[in-house]
Amino acid sequence: MLPFFVVIPLACAFLISLLGKRIKNLSDILANLGTLALLILSLYSIGLVNNHKILVYKVGGWIPPIGISMVLDGLSSFMLVIVGVVSFLVTVYSINYMERFTDKWKFYTLFMLMLAGMNGVIVSGDLFNLFVFLEIASIASYALVAFGTEAEELEASFKYAIMGSVASSFILLGIAFLYSYTSTLNMADISLVLSIKEPGLMVSFIAVLFLVGFGLKAALVPFHAWLPDAHPSAPAPISAMLSGVFIKILGVYALCRVFFNILGVSDKIFFVLTILGVISMILGAFLAIAQSDIKRMFAYSSISQIGFIIFALGIGSPLALLGGLFHLFNHAIFKSLLFLNSGAVEYSTGVRDLKRLGGLNSRLPITGFTGLLGAMSISGIPPLGGFWSKLIIIIAAVQAGYFMFASIAILISIVTLAYYLKFLGFTFFGKLDDAWLKIKEVPWAMRFSMIILAIICVITGLLLIPILRPFLQSAVEVLLSGREYSSIVFGAIR
Amino acid sequence: MNITSLCPLFKLDVLSGFVILAIGLFSVLVIVYSLRFMRNKQKLVSFYANIILTALASAAVVFSNNLILLLVLWGFLGLTLYLLINRGEESQDAIAKKTFIIIGGSDALMLLGVGIVYYLSGTFQMDAIRLELNNSLAVLAYLCIAVACFAKAGAMPFHSWIPDCARYAPVPVAAFLLASLDKLLGIYLLARISLDLFVMNEAMNIFLMLIGALTIIAAVMMALVQHNMKRLLGYHAVSQVGYMVLGIGTGTPIGIAGGIFHMLNNSIYKQALFFTSGNVEQKTGTTDLDKLGGLSKAMPLTYISALIASLSISGVPPFNGFVSKWMIYQGLISKCQIANGKWQMIVYLLCLAAAMFGSGLTLASFLKLIHATFLGQSVNGKRAKVAEVNWAMWLPPLLLASICVIFGVFAIQVPLKYFILPAVAGVTFIGTWYAGLSTLLIIIGLLLGVLIFKLKGIRPVLRQDTAFTGGETLDLAENRVTGTEFYNTIKDLGLLATIYKNAEKGLFDIYEQAKRLTFFTASALQYLHNGVLPTYLVWTLLGMIGLFILLR
Repeated sequence: MLPFFVVIPLACAFLISLLGKRIKNLSDILANLGTLALLILSLYSIGLVNNHKILVYKVGGWIPPIGISMVLDGLSSFMLVIVGVVSFLVTVYSINYMERFTDKWKFYTLFMLMLAGMNGVIVSGDLFNLFVFLEIASIASYALVAFGTEAEELEASFKYAIMGSVASSFILLGIAFLYSYTSTLNMADISLVLSIKEPGLMVSFIAVLFLVGFGLKAALVPFHAWLPDAHPSAPAPISAMLSGVFIKILGVYALCRVFFNILGVSDKIFFVLTILGVISMILGAFLAIAQSDIKRMFAYSSISQIGFIIFALGIGSPLALLGGLFHLFNHAIFKSLLFLNSGAVEYSTGVRDLKRLGGLNSRLPITGFTGLLGAMSISGIPPLGGFWSKLIIIIAAVQAGYFMFASIAILISIVTLAYYLKFLGFTFFGKLDDAWLKIKEVPWAMRFSMIILAIICVITGLLLIPILRPFLQSAVEVLLSGREYSSIVFGAIR
Repeated sequence: MNITSLCPLFKLDVLSGFVILAIGLFSVLVIVYSLRFMRNKQKLVSFYANIILTALASAAVVFSNNLILLLVLWGFLGLTLYLLINRGEESQDAIAKKTFIIIGGSDALMLLGVGIVYYLSGTFQMDAIRLELNNSLAVLAYLCIAVACFAKAGAMPFHSWIPDCARYAPVPVAAFLLASLDKLLGIYLLARISLDLFVMNEAMNIFLMLIGALTIIAAVMMALVQHNMKRLLGYHAVSQVGYMVLGIGTGTPIGIAGGIFHMLNNSIYKQALFFTSGNVEQKTGTTDLDKLGGLSKAMPLTYISALIASLSISGVPPFNGFVSKWMIYQGLISKCQIANGKWQMIVYLLCLAAAMFGSGLTLASFLKLIHATFLGQSVNGKRAKVAEVNWAMWLPPLLLASICVIFGVFAIQVPLKYFILPAVAGVTFIGTWYAGLSTLLIIIGLLLGVLIFKLKGIRPVLRQDTAFTGGETLDLAENRVTGTEFYNTIKDLGLLATIYKNAEKGLFDIYEQAKRLTFFTASALQYLHNGVLPTYLVWTLLGMIGLFILLR
């Protein structure tokens, strides 16, 4: 069933581009059915991973390392679920939201292509294929950022495309060097070869190339500069996708896979990750608080939160990895929720400038309440999901002896609270401006998505209870297994 | 039956027991009061839901024996407080934001503290933790948790949300949270960590005492010059916390017992005072002291409650505030007896002086409040008609005022016997001279108050006559003595004048300063993000070079 994760969205993209223009509503239906199918498949994959630990699909029956393989393990299925949940809710949201744009079918085509790319990155067991899928997703996202075709959007898209291409070329360069060094492209096989060969300067060089490449995709400081332009310019559902999942799959997931399972993480790499994480955390937060454009604020907030996740991964203890992945899940949920909220505000008022809004709680009660939950969750207010991941990461940081960084993380979480209160205060609380007296709550599809995401926000704390914990734990175990990944994969083939 | 055996997450002992009892009482009173006060307001469902959630979560905080559980509930209270303050009226959002940033920020610090406690002790179970403050990590953990207590209770320097909050939040909210629940929780947790979780040393005790003394004096000085009844009460809500922190900081059983008793007493009379301010607001539509006056005849029941509560907060015998302050003084004196070294002695005496002086100033500022609101001339010079508020609004403060009297007169027989003494082991009242001394102290406090009062000059003997100033008739109603100018003299007093001016500007407000620093950093960073693509590519390159060097 592994190929379906790529085949379904690709087929949808193909069909929508072929028929979407001619048959009304077909693109809506196809896209929603497609993402729903992917969501169900991804949920089903949790069960599979629970039973089999790992599934390897041999494309065309060729045995890896000669043939191409697809791998589904705990980490992949964890990521697939995140993509599934967010993309399904985003497509539902788009039914109403995208009415504002012409050529909805083009939007869905690109969206499905991007989805195919992301799912491909996740299930790919082959480094070169990972690159190919990464490029598919990236190029689709460049187009999606420019979807509004206003000057500002085109500029953002251009910057994004340039920086993205730089990232891709570094990644490709890294893969080329790795291929010349190990003579194979299969991830498990590279890992095997590297564990036999002496780790030389070459591996460090490749590590830097990958760090820069995936760091650019993940928008870690100082590689972040494209994000604050690109994410706000896209239509709200795409912003939600980009900030919620895109940077995590192409950035964090790829980084994890390459470093934890293939190259192997040395103490130096761990240290570099914590440093990058802390810097991103600080810069993102301070830049976010100064913004007055809602989506720009959220975009900077994404940098800060990704920093938090990378910081947790850099600590490297099992508890920290659990916290990091948990935070990744939480962030996917609440950041998409917040972007959808900002979309709803923009949908009803046409404005995203904080200074012109206010008091919308009385006009948009559902948007306001879900926005409150999302903002509180990301600020780490108990008992919402974000609190638990913050708690775990801080405790893990203290346990690992990173007292300084833990204190910084705490201070940054105060800043985070401050700018989300700024968002809430200027948007939903305070006095209602006369201009917004007549606006109405957004249509049902948009409300549905926001409500579901808000519910998930509230209950994610439950992922820590023993029954649901394997979902997170199996992903953590993949990271913990490190280089044993190769023997696990090859064990599954035989 | 032992509840601990049923569930390790919860524990009930005498200290938490009476705090829960108090929370229950205050919640009921606030809900009764709100039934009338909030009747014509909007969004009542969310109001009552938040009040009830707050009450439940507070009770659970006190009940919990697990640090994580405590942290969760404690943090949740910040959210409900934010929602309770932020009811969509003008200027509420700014203050709600400030409140939540200070409270939520201190919660985050507490999280760090809990993390370090876990690192040091390996458990989250509160009754299994006993840490010595002998290394910097333990001190950091203690301070982090103490900051959360200070912010919640409103001790300096984390007090700055309280005065504004008292002014703009709905009165039941101010009475519920600022006056009672937040104090109970903050001081409860401070007592808990100081008595059980950590073993205090002398340095930390002195630190607490100094914080307490500073809070008492600085806040009461601010209270003296306020023009708004609710804001004035807000500053007193800060000032009184100083006594509790001071009491706990003494580290002597009698001082700690005094601090905890003061926490209970303060909640009682402060809630009564906020209720009366609500009554005044309901009747006159304002709490601005300039626009009030002569309400004692119109609202006798409210007046009596306010008077008793005011005397109680000023530590006048025989009310309850006197008893607990008196116990705190005793704690300080017994501390003086065992002081070793000149410096310690000086610190203790300084704190004692601050506590006594603060008591005097409290009385002084309440003279102002009572005069400006209930005595003096009414605004239009006419005698107001008796128009007491609805029973649901006068009963709660009156009930609380009567508790003030009972807890004062029968202090040893009722509250101390059942609540305080079982909670703090080994309380001994000093010698046989304590009554005389405390009376003396109170008299000194009163004298000091009178002295300061006299700085303005004694009010002339009341003689009603037609005013005649060079042929013009003088409108007495316009030139009445409102009481707000009572202490204007100290506002112009050299050094104090500068301090006041800066305090109004927010120089001593940790929130304002942090905000300034944050936005300064942010603007510097924004300057770097100039939107030019080549710059960004250069950053990437620099980052890459940095990584090469690091990973070489």
